[in-house]
Amino acid sequence: MRKTPALLFVMAVGLVALFAAGCAKKAVEAPPTPAPAPPVVQPTTPVPTPTPTPEIPVPVPTVTAGDFADVFFELDSYALSDDAKLALDRAARLLRDKADVSVTLEGHCDERGTVEYNQALGEKRANAARDYLVNAGVPAARLQTLSYGKERPFAEGHDESAWAQNRRAHFVLR
Amino acid sequence: MRRLPLIVLLAVLAAPGARAQTREVRIDIAGGGRRTQLYCEALAAGRLPAGAPAARPADEVLAADLEQSAVFLVSRAWSGQPPFDVQAVSGGRWKVAGGQVTLEGEVRDFPARRPILSKVYRGAAADWRSLVHQFADDIVLQFTGETGVACTRIAFIAPAGRNKELWVMDLDGAGARALTADRSIALSPSWSPDGSLLAFSTYRDGGSPHLYVVPAVGGRLYQVSARPGLNTSPAYSPDGREIACTLSKDGNSEIYVLDARGGSPRRLTDNRAIDTSPCWSPTGREIAFTSDRSGSPQVYMMDRDGGNVRRLTFDVGYTDSPAWSPRGDLVAFVSRTPVGFDLYVCGADGTNARLVVSGGSNENPRWSPDGRHLVFASNREGPYALFISDLDGRPPRKLDTGGRAAMSPSWSPSASRMAVAVPTNAPVSNPGGRP
Repeated sequence: MRKTPALLFVMAVGLVALFAAGCAKKAVEAPPTPAPAPPVVQPTTPVPTPTPTPEIPVPVPTVTAGDFADVFFELDSYALSDDAKLALDRAARLLRDKADVSVTLEGHCDERGTVEYNQALGEKRANAARDYLVNAGVPAARLQTLSYGKERPFAEGHDESAWAQNRRAHFVLR
Repeated sequence: MRRLPLIVLLAVLAAPGARAQTREVRIDIAGGGRRTQLYCEALAAGRLPAGAPAARPADEVLAADLEQSAVFLVSRAWSGQPPFDVQAVSGGRWKVAGGQVTLEGEVRDFPARRPILSKVYRGAAADWRSLVHQFADDIVLQFTGETGVACTRIAFIAPAGRNKELWVMDLDGAGARALTADRSIALSPSWSPDGSLLAFSTYRDGGSPHLYVVPAVGGRLYQVSARPGLNTSPAYSPDGREIACTLSKDGNSEIYVLDARGGSPRRLTDNRAIDTSPCWSPTGREIAFTSDRSGSPQVYMMDRDGGNVRRLTFDVGYTDSPAWSPRGDLVAFVSRTPVGFDLYVCGADGTNARLVVSGGSNENPRWSPDGRHLVFASNREGPYALFISDLDGRPPRKLDTGGRAAMSPSWSPSASRMAVAVPTNAPVSNPGGRP
């Protein structure tokens, strides 16, 4: 009970502060309108006034496949690494912001592994990426998957650096 | 199961110029170790039948067939070699009349030259090669109790830039032709057991791979399965009534069996792992396949209803691409190495795994219908090409694919079961019929 005056005081101060803030905001939002200027008589000889450079029309920025980073995987694995999840978090934000964008997630593999196993492994990778995006709030209807196995390598080499680039889920806009 | 070790008793010359003496020689052909010394004499007429479009003389076709049967060691009379230490002599004569050709083939023992085989082959002059192949297969039959594979064909995948097309050719490389021209990715061909059709997987529809069937002599393509997700890795059952394959329509790659027209899917596996590459036992009662359910890919076996799943072998780690031998006693598979795959063969019970081919990457083994050879794809000499191992420790020999890179081979059934490209005097089984 003894705390009540103090509490009331705090609330009162708070209300005052809110009111002041509201006033300040209003002041910013609605600047006083200047008094109408007296009519200006046009000079008979036109003075060339500098015309303002017209605004160059630009298209509304669209999403491109380049906005989506590839998601990379370890050998024989379709587990999502921390880096993979970062890339997918960015992709999920982009897809939530652009409701009109649908993507195909392509699963790819390095060349070590049989044709048929890699087709299945690539699908696992594409599905892992898709499931993560769905859990992050992207409607499943906007996500398709497609596995190319080892048939469409990104890097043509036959060493670890090429293999690492080829173990990926890759975004294609639909 | 005619696996009688044929014991050939033949008199041979002990040494040239030495006093002729005879002794008995036992040749266990089915054992695979020793080969019968055969002396090829030029076929009388000595040249090609009139109008025959050929890259090599018929004599060479016959000699190469016999050499590659893995049953004979061949010496060629026309290369000037004397008949040294040989056990049999092949020869015969051509007759050409109109558009028809007759080949009278003969094999005799040596040096007595008593007849072992004498047979007449007739056909269109344009089909002269198939007459020679049939003669070669009959010679193998005579010496082993099992027909040879000279009349068989090989289906394979030829990369062309970023695309892959399905091709088929005679075993010796003649008559190569593309069965697809989709500018897409064709994969994993499988022969129907009557030799009339090839099932394969392709990305030709855009999107995920679908299963198609095409006549082995060429023609239109028939879509067999275009279910959502993967439609891959088809394999005709030994009776031709069903196709085992990999589908992921239910969310994960699993082994299914479809009827031969692609209907009535029956699911055989059910787990969260990868299951693919099904392969029938020759009886059709079991299926070998690849699964990573234990963490890495391994070959497993199961009954045709999906029950009784067991791992094939624990002798080798990371195994894939199972191929069940025609006799049912062996399974070929690949095992991963730092640079690709090695080829192994083990008993169908998983015992006695042995390394058959190593060096480079050696993939997609498939048995010859007589079980004497494995064809596989390898980059051992550069770009991917097709090779044959006779399973006897000799170096694999490269198949002639006309200079094309080639992978994913599939060996046709034996000619006696094939409905295509047989000489006119041979019985035609299931002419033009679908399985």
